[in-house]
Amino acid sequence: MKKALSLVLALLMSMALLTACGSGGDPGSSGGSLDPDLPTYDSLQVGEDYTDLKAELRVITHRTDLIQEDPDGRDFTDFVKEFNALYPNITINYEGITNYNDDMSTRISSNNWGDICMIPQSILLPDLHLYFQPVCQLSSIEADYNFATNRAYDGLVYGIPSTGNAQGIIYNKKVAEAAGYTSDSLPKTPDEFLKFLQDIKDKTDAIPLYTNFAAGWTMTAWDAYISGGATADADWMNITMPQTKDPFADRGDGTGPYAVYKLLYDAVSLGLTEDAPTATDWEGCKPMINNGEIGAMVLGSWAIIQMQEAGPNAADIGYMPFPITQPDGKQYASAGSDYCYGVNNSISNDNKIAAMLYIKWLTESSNFAYDQGGVPVLKSQPYPATLAAFDGIELVEDTAAPTEIASLQADVNRESELSLNADQTHVQRIVEAVITGGETFEDIISDWNARWNAAVDRYAPKS
Amino acid sequence: MSQPSAATAHSNLTFIQKCKTMRGQQIIVTITFLVAPLLLLFTFTYLPFFKMVQFSFYDRDYLRVRDFVGLRNYIDVFSRSDCFQALKLSLYYMVGSVFQISLALLFATILSFKVRGSKFFRGALYFPCLICGIAVGFIFKFFLNPGFVLDTLLGWVGIADTPNWLENTAINNIVLVACSLWKYMGQNIVLFIGAIASVDPVLYEAAEIDGANAWQRFKCIIIPSIRTIVVLNLILSISGALSAFEMPYVVTNGTFGTSTYFVVMNKLAHTDMKVGLASAMAVVLLGIIVIVTFIQKFVEKKMDEADSRPHHCVADGKGGKK
Repeated sequence: MKKALSLVLALLMSMALLTACGSGGDPGSSGGSLDPDLPTYDSLQVGEDYTDLKAELRVITHRTDLIQEDPDGRDFTDFVKEFNALYPNITINYEGITNYNDDMSTRISSNNWGDICMIPQSILLPDLHLYFQPVCQLSSIEADYNFATNRAYDGLVYGIPSTGNAQGIIYNKKVAEAAGYTSDSLPKTPDEFLKFLQDIKDKTDAIPLYTNFAAGWTMTAWDAYISGGATADADWMNITMPQTKDPFADRGDGTGPYAVYKLLYDAVSLGLTEDAPTATDWEGCKPMINNGEIGAMVLGSWAIIQMQEAGPNAADIGYMPFPITQPDGKQYASAGSDYCYGVNNSISNDNKIAAMLYIKWLTESSNFAYDQGGVPVLKSQPYPATLAAFDGIELVEDTAAPTEIASLQADVNRESELSLNADQTHVQRIVEAVITGGETFEDIISDWNARWNAAVDRYAPKS
Repeated sequence: MSQPSAATAHSNLTFIQKCKTMRGQQIIVTITFLVAPLLLLFTFTYLPFFKMVQFSFYDRDYLRVRDFVGLRNYIDVFSRSDCFQALKLSLYYMVGSVFQISLALLFATILSFKVRGSKFFRGALYFPCLICGIAVGFIFKFFLNPGFVLDTLLGWVGIADTPNWLENTAINNIVLVACSLWKYMGQNIVLFIGAIASVDPVLYEAAEIDGANAWQRFKCIIIPSIRTIVVLNLILSISGALSAFEMPYVVTNGTFGTSTYFVVMNKLAHTDMKVGLASAMAVVLLGIIVIVTFIQKFVEKKMDEADSRPHHCVADGKGGKK
């Protein structure tokens, strides 16, 4: 009996193993193309086309804060109601994920995750067609949309930007005033910024610069400045840097990635940050900056609204460009798309059309980007007041890499294990180095360069 | 599931008839009951494990397989500085687990005898095990941060000049080990109390009549009787020490030199997307745990052999075999 039993079980298990091994698909053999049976995104007239379409949409979002019905603010339930006034037969259900990028990256590999999601950053551009429906030609919306190239590949658009972020520094205007600075005399170079922090320390009780070290992910904000803001070069992040040796080296003129990270190192060494970085508290920092207990924090423009809503002093929250001035005397700021909406490519055509209609309504009619204090998605839409300090500052949007090196940036970035813009370990290392006295800033930079160079050697096309 | 040829080979009964016999029924019931749990075990334990071993030979992320790289991931694990640097931190946790087992033994022994409030203390000591590890991490994060609970408490007794428990690299790992000790000791205590309860009370009486003091009773009766459980706990604690994750991940997020093997692995797999390399790390760790377990088993066997020789303690055959 034992033999029979074990035979049966062994058979069962090996069968399961074989089927499991055999089911791994072969990704990436052919690229995507527009479906001739579907209308294109740009040709849809929201409110006029397909008004009697019946569909049920499941939308997955990272904005867990907007899912619950909030009687005071506009949230997703309001959006759905407004959209349903135009399309009464399209039912929309939202699902929020807190640890969005990681969780969604795993879930996306099943086909039935839903209809619309924010495309996770981990999906490389050449792989977009495996999961998402191309909605239109890039050329047909490029003229009207900011950031249209963000999730586009091979001339096809797979993701429509939800809102845009400009990269600068959040500061408290009242604290700045007490330290002797007005909105016209804000620091423009790293040295001026250190002086600005020193003045805050000397003349007020506020913590000059709050690192948000403990929350971790908040420190990835520093990586966002090394692109257009620090270099004034739109090609730097996706095209030049992944093919450049020693990208972190000191440029000697106070620009480039070196200047960005050096600013953090100097601020911590000069005692211009909080006493105990491990005791920083992300939720706690919002009311603190609102009440003037913090001078400045390094965060993208998406954070402005949260800081304003965290206390009674919304008007005190200001936003300034990162203090790097290029040799031409001008300041630049990086700007980029937040998550983009993507449409599942394995749902019915009705659902695809309904999804495109809803996305188009969200971007063009819902006022979402403006409400969130973001850079508008449509070029014709107005900038919110919070970004007023960026008037006259040139916004630099990273250009997408050409098709043949579309995944180079991601490959080099991951291979180097710096994971810029995705992981904070390398930024935290700067703070740790100052506090423990273990390594110098030059040690860190040369280690980063060595790792980056090895990754470039491995992935960059040889020329 | 059917085996008609095997069934008919030995007798003239048809398969159906065979199934209706007592023996046939037994087989059918056994298989039916076994299939579900084994299938679950296979799907959720062995299949992912095989997949992980398979992943470890590839250069890949979660969604994309780049190349088959053979053993390169394994070579990387051994040649990188951070992987084995992280394993050194496990030494802290291993030393901690020895403390943990000793303390647990002490408490278990005390609480096994008539002590005022022993029920309450059992509950109190086991309580941390019931809290989710992440929550414990957050509790300690606030407990240890400068100016928070611990510093306040120390301030009350006059110690004002405290180090930064989480940023001082000389002590932060020890502090984290102490946190894990607090969380996991209750589990050991419960196991030990259970084992001690199964020791024949006649032995204590006999020892008492012979004039053995508490220490002698502990050393010659309790320890030999529950040795199997002690060794089991040691194995579990050592493998737990090698795979320490919750405390360093939640309390310090691996900063200030507290990044254990699992924290490094987690970063490689989830942010650097080096799934192949991280899988290789996991397989290597599994190998290390298996080796450590074998060494412990070997030592235990040697001790058993030494025990069977006569010596000054009264060897209790019954207890030793438990």
